[in-house]
Parts: sequence; C-alpha cells; structure tokens
Amino acid sequence: MKILRMAWRNLWRNGRRTLVTVGAMTLALWAMVLYTSLMQGMLGSMESTLLDVELGEIQIHADGYLERPSIWERIEEPDALLEALDETGLRSSARLLGGALVASGDASTGALLKGLRPDRDAQVSDVYQRLDRGEWLDAADASGVVLGYRLARTLGIDVGDELIALSQATDGSMANDLFRVRGVLQSLSEETDRATVFLVEDQFRSFFALEDGAHQVIVRSGEGQTLDAAGEMAQQATAASAPGAEVKSWRDLLPGLANVFDSAQAAVQVVAFVVYVVIAIMILNAMLMAVFERIREFGVLKAIGVSPRRVLALILTEGALQAALAIAIGLVASAPALWFVTTRGIDVGQLGGTAIMGVSMDRIWTGAISPATIAGPVFILLFIVGLAVLFPAFKAARISPIEAIHHQ
Amino acid sequence: MGDGPVIALQDVTKVYRQGSVDIHALRGLSMEVEPGEFTAVCGPSGSGKTTMLNLIGALDAATSGSIVLEGQELGSLNKKELSELRRDRIGFVFQAYNLMPVLTAYENAEMVLWVQGVDAATRRERVMGLLEQVGLKGLEDRRPSELSGGQQQRVAIARAIASNPAVVLADEPTANVDSETAETLLGLMEELNREQGVTFLFSTHDPQVMERARRVVRLVDGNIASDQRR
Repeated sequence: MKILRMAWRNLWRNGRRTLVTVGAMTLALWAMVLYTSLMQGMLGSMESTLLDVELGEIQIHADGYLERPSIWERIEEPDALLEALDETGLRSSARLLGGALVASGDASTGALLKGLRPDRDAQVSDVYQRLDRGEWLDAADASGVVLGYRLARTLGIDVGDELIALSQATDGSMANDLFRVRGVLQSLSEETDRATVFLVEDQFRSFFALEDGAHQVIVRSGEGQTLDAAGEMAQQATAASAPGAEVKSWRDLLPGLANVFDSAQAAVQVVAFVVYVVIAIMILNAMLMAVFERIREFGVLKAIGVSPRRVLALILTEGALQAALAIAIGLVASAPALWFVTTRGIDVGQLGGTAIMGVSMDRIWTGAISPATIAGPVFILLFIVGLAVLFPAFKAARISPIEAIHHQ
Repeated sequence: MGDGPVIALQDVTKVYRQGSVDIHALRGLSMEVEPGEFTAVCGPSGSGKTTMLNLIGALDAATSGSIVLEGQELGSLNKKELSELRRDRIGFVFQAYNLMPVLTAYENAEMVLWVQGVDAATRRERVMGLLEQVGLKGLEDRRPSELSGGQQQRVAIARAIASNPAVVLADEPTANVDSETAETLLGLMEELNREQGVTFLFSTHDPQVMERARRVVRLVDGNIASDQRR
C-alpha cells in the first residue's frame, strides 16, 4: 500500500512529464484498438464474402474437375448427393458451370455461367443479398440473369438490358440465347465481378443441352461445427452417394488466402508492437530521467534497509500506474470511435471493390468488436511498458547506497 | 547483545582508487564505542570522518581490518544481511536530511518500521509519540517541502530512532541549519541520549557539537589523533 502511495505521488512530482507519457500511451492504445477493430472488420467481411457468398466451407466436384474444369466433368447424380448431405444436417446446393462468350451491342467478353436453383442456393450462399441494383434470380423468369458489376460495366449494360450468350452445347450444337439482365451484383471478388453470370438451373441446362449432373456442390458447415468435422461428414456422404467425387475445404481450394487469414491477426499484433516500441522508447526515457533525478532518494531508501526488491517494485508500480491510467482513458476514448466504425463504418469511396487476394473490400469499411479487439492492444501495451520500465527499475534497485547518497 | 562495546573497529583501513592513485582514507584505525555514548568525530576535510561512518553504517566495506557491531563482524555478512542490519540496528541522520519528498513527516518517520513489517497500529503509536518528542506534534501531515530545515532534521532524527537502533550515525547533522536550530537539534539528541540511552556517533566540523559531545575523537589523515572523554 505504501509503495502504491509513493509511486502515485512520485508520478505527480513531474506532472507534465507523466501527462505526456500517459498521453502517448493513451494515444497509442486508442489507435491500436481502432486499428484492430478495423482490421478485424475488414478480414471478417472478406471471410464472410469468401465463405458466405462465394465458396462455402466445402465444395464437391467430379474427380479431375478442379485440375481441368470442363463442362463434361460432372457429378452424375447430384440430387442423391444433396439428399445424403441433407441427412447429415449439412446445408448444400448444386451448381452448374460453363464458359461462354457474352455480348451486348459491340462489346463482348468471356464469362462463366453459373446455373443454380435460387431457393436451394439461398441456403448456402448470400449472393442473392449482395445486389447492387435490380433483383435476384427467379425460377419463374427463365431468361433473367444476374451479372458481376465489372462485367456489366465492360458490356455497358444495366438492369433490363439484353445479353447475348454464345457457347458450344454438350450435344455439339452452337449454344446461343438472349437473356435479360435482372440484377447487377455488388463488388464481391475479382472472378465474380469481372466474369460471372448467374442464371437459373433450367435455363443453364437448356442453353448447354445438359440433361443431368452438376459441376459443383457447395456445402456449408453447421453452427459451431469445425471445418474438419464438416469435411468428414461431407466426405462420408460423398463416398456413399457420389463415389470418386473430390471433397475439398475452402482452405484446400485457396491455401494462399487461408494463410492470409491465419497470419492477419499476427500481422495486426506486429504493427501494434512497432507502434508501441516507439512509445516504449519514450517511457524508457521518462523513467530513466525519473530514476536519475531520484538517485539520492533510492540511496537513502537502501541505506535505511529498504530491500532492492521493494525499490524495484516501486519503479514497476510507477510504470504500471501510468499504464493503468492510459488503459482507462484510452478505452473510454475508444468507445465512441469503436461505436462509429462498427455501426456507421468508413466510406472508402473509390477503394471499395479493390480486391485483396481476389476478395473485394466493401465500400463501407466497418470495424468489428470482440474481446481480442481490446485485449490484444492492452496486453501488448502492458508487455511493452513492462519491458521499458524494467531497465530503470533494475538500475534503481541495484544502486549502491553510498554512491547514490553522495550523488550530486 | 552483551555488555561489550556497541561498535568495535580494529585496525581498519580503507583505500579508494582514484584513477591510478590510491587514496588512503583510513589507516589502521581502531576504536570502540560503548552503549549510550554521545560521541563526536571531528577533523579536517579528508581526515576520514565520513568514511568511518559509512563503514560503521555498513554502507561501504573496509579494505582491511575488522568492524564489529553488537558482536557481529560486518565483513562476514552478505548484502542482504547488511541491509537487514542497517534496517534493524542502525539509524541514519544525514547532513541534507534526505527525507522522501513525496511522504509526509509521519510517513517518513514510520518508513523504517514499515520496512521492518511492524503492524500499522504499533507504527502509529510509536511514530506519533516520537514526533511529539521531537517537537513536531501537529505537523505530521506536512511534506518536507512544507517544513523548515530544522523541522526536517527532526523528522530525520525521528526516523533514525524509530526502530530503537543500536547506534545513530549522524553525518554533519547541523551543517545545513543555523546555529539556533543546531542548538535545538543538539539538545533534542542529547535528551534522547540521556533519557533513552540512544547511542549517537556524529561526524562534525561544528564546534557546538564538539562542545556538547561527551566524547570527542579527532581524526587526522585517516587515524585517531586524540580521543577525549568528558
């Protein structure tokens, strides 16, 4: 108690220095909490786009499709597979994939047509909620298609306009059809934005003269279910109903991006560490000055029998009190900023849609909040302050009383 | 503790190395201080007064010779034991008072008792009594910056005697105060010596101290030139 009292009073002997030190710590903590929240928000949004909209946790393809995607490589009885997956409790939906030349007026480009059943697909993908304008597919509107937003821009078309698609059907005939744009998607990913056309399954089959089979089954894990557990269940269902088909988790499909997500948290902490090192130098300087100014006092304390351990504790307590003040003020100051970035978000304007590892950033960059948003920056601050204070504290604890008392 | 001397120095030397030169601060000094003595050690600057007090106070180690405090040979103790010895058996009064500026008079005076682990109630009783005894009743809550030099030195005296040490070592205790205050401080220390049997050992230049001391040891060039008891 006495150490705490002494430490507290010592801090205010040079109030300005203490305020500057605490202010720097507070600012660093505030910035790091905000930065962590924004990074978590961005990564969460990217992960959500990736899993909820694009990939799902697990995908099943016919053997060899992933190495050489081809309209011929199909899961022969997708309905049996979907039924088997339904029995395991995993949500799933089949998609048909085929390349085509799409055109409007003088503009044309290659695109991937994705055929799906809107009602079933909505169980595995939120893509139907990610429209920039227009409406999602409707089974009753066979000619309606939904485009990626950059594809729409490339072709110069918008909702209500016509789209021509040309390809080779599976029966060897020339596939061509006229579609009408029902909707244009928000920016989601490089691939979807630039070259994807969604259409209903029946229309896809009709266009490509494809009677059966599916190229891809998207599977979603259950609430709280691990990826490995869901993968195991999907594997068993596939072995029974579609032998030979390949079951891959999104981590297998995009290992580079999986690594980015895994290392992103560490990257956040590295940035925090660098910011705090600058603060640590400031704290080190302030505490060294405080120790040098009080060398005689430490000498007297040691002369009258105060143990080095207690002197060490005094300096560490001074550092801890400053850190505690900074944490209290920093967290209070972070609250409104966190509220703003998590509820309103930051409009990144032209940066919206910029792809990071193929996954697009939202135009409104919102932060996320979790225990780690606060705990990470606070823990690193405490660690850095501890390190910065340790040297002056040991210096004070090891002072020879005779030299210290006669220090001028 | 037996009936022998509280302090016994035998053939003590202290050599400091300054660059390539050896400075002989003490040259085979021997003396004893009996319990209850009120002793002034005087001599010109550089005669070894402060060095002697530092060695007796276990703040520094002798180059050779033996220093025994209440039967304990200081040279045989490790740093931790020396620290405990200073805490429990030696009181210090410094020329510049050396109080903790962030602590009140009361807190400064109770410091040693706190370090000893004495409980708060006992500390309070002891320290309040001491502060009254040294004439600081009512000033317990003042910090050193709110006290005069003489008052600060009284706090330092209260701190030094709070733990009932075997000896109080006072290095030029009156050097920073005017003669009237010095007289009062000396009177206070004399009273503590007479009434409570506190052993005082001063280093001093001050003729007032030498006049009041019942034993005056004069050092010259690191050794005792004279030793007079009155």
